[in-house]
Amino acid sequence: MYSDGSSPIHGRWKKTHMLSRFDQYIVEVLITQDAIARRVAEMGREVAATYGNSLPLLVGVLKGSALFMADLIRHMDIPLEMDFMAVASYAGHEPGQSSGAVRITKDLDHVIEGREVLLVEGIVDTGMTSGYILRNLKARQPRSIRLCTLLDKPARRIVKVPVAFRGFEIPDRFVVGYGLDFQQLYRNLPYIGVLSGEATGLARD
Amino acid sequence: MAVITISREPGALGEEVAARVAGLLGFLLVDRGFLARFRQEADLGEADVAGVDEANLGEECGSDPESEDCAKLRPDLIARLAGDHDLVVIGGGGQGLFQNRPGTLHVRIVASRRFRVGQARSHRGLTAREARRYIMDLEARRSRYVRFLYRMNWADPSLYDLTLRMDRLSIEQALNLIVAAADEMRLRQVPRRLIVENLLPEIEKRRSSARFANDTEREFARFLEFYRIPYQYEPRTFPLEVDANGKVLEAFAPDFYLPEQDLFIELTTMKQSLVTRKNRKIRKLRRLHPEVNIRIFYQRDFYNLLAKYGLLKETSDKNVRPPDRE
Repeated sequence: MYSDGSSPIHGRWKKTHMLSRFDQYIVEVLITQDAIARRVAEMGREVAATYGNSLPLLVGVLKGSALFMADLIRHMDIPLEMDFMAVASYAGHEPGQSSGAVRITKDLDHVIEGREVLLVEGIVDTGMTSGYILRNLKARQPRSIRLCTLLDKPARRIVKVPVAFRGFEIPDRFVVGYGLDFQQLYRNLPYIGVLSGEATGLARD
Repeated sequence: MAVITISREPGALGEEVAARVAGLLGFLLVDRGFLARFRQEADLGEADVAGVDEANLGEECGSDPESEDCAKLRPDLIARLAGDHDLVVIGGGGQGLFQNRPGTLHVRIVASRRFRVGQARSHRGLTAREARRYIMDLEARRSRYVRFLYRMNWADPSLYDLTLRMDRLSIEQALNLIVAAADEMRLRQVPRRLIVENLLPEIEKRRSSARFANDTEREFARFLEFYRIPYQYEPRTFPLEVDANGKVLEAFAPDFYLPEQDLFIELTTMKQSLVTRKNRKIRKLRRLHPEVNIRIFYQRDFYNLLAKYGLLKETSDKNVRPPDRE
């Protein structure tokens, strides 16, 4: 709850026919555009106060953090550098084929040894991806490494990851928007919405 | 590459500590299970390794030259592995095999007899007498194994850099002490090429499909393997009800254990009546073993995990994409 009495989380369901065709499978707006903007501004100031003039390197995890990262740094009035990395996501398994292992598809351009590093995520869910990246970056011996995420879904955590800066703790719902996708769609929604079970395939149960 | 050997008295929680150390440091855990799988992949016949287990070897290999060869096969395998991987080697005479090797930390995990008997009783559902006998037998075999291969007394404290007495330590504290020692000895030095592509040890790709009870468990194991999260499948059975003679009447074996998270995971995607029974067992487990961290994954949790990656089978692009998108 914010000081003006508004809540960042909206509980009411929106009927499909009330929404435009593009977002017709969004059944609920969980966090509004305004709420995101306010919270990201707060987080930017909080992160800036933590790092001061230590020239932190902000590492965005592609692609989910792109919008959050872009907005976050505009509220940080300190010198900083930014970089991105990407890892391959789990892609299922066909009979006779190996599911393989996570790998970095885009590595950092910077050397981070001795640097203050902030890993920026759009969402921390099971913690598997963040856990892998944190472990990978720690091995490069930065001076410090912290995790900043817009959304934290602790109900589904499998791998414990230390979240230093958290935008919103959200319930166990399937969310998209503001950089987060489902099958590469919906990243451009300006709010965080709940995707229908019909779209995700979860409706059958 | 770096090696941490862990020698443990039976019942002193050495296996649990070793798994956590390997998970935290991203080292390859070389235990009996690993060697069995490695043996399969290397296409070594059963006969080649039949006597290679340390628990069996102590009695059998002392006099027969052929057995002596087979006993040396296992150290050879481990020594070869150490050329390519950072290892945590549990048992197997690691303290002898790598005795003066640079980049090696030798750890000994001990506990009082009383502590170890208690552990053996609770983990294996044994009576006090059975637990004592079990511990003494295993101690004698392990001792003989090290003596046979390396002419060493495995209880000699000068073989170890660090000895931990588990009566007064939690697994977490033991883990931290070992990691601190490893760091002091500068064992953690990761080459850049490994950082970029392959920081964590490759988990073996080929697993027997019969190993898992159902498709859900198999798929979950693939998730863990994909993200290089060390796990053990049904590693431990917790007695839930024991009669006056120490006979286990009811027990529960969670599906997965993630040593790095110290977390047991039980997958439940079956019909509701079985879910109710499992829920009851888990409540009982939490009451009897409040120190055990367990998480239950219901059908919906699992579908959520699949949906996150667009892997629910009934999902089609037609359903997801806006109708006007051409």
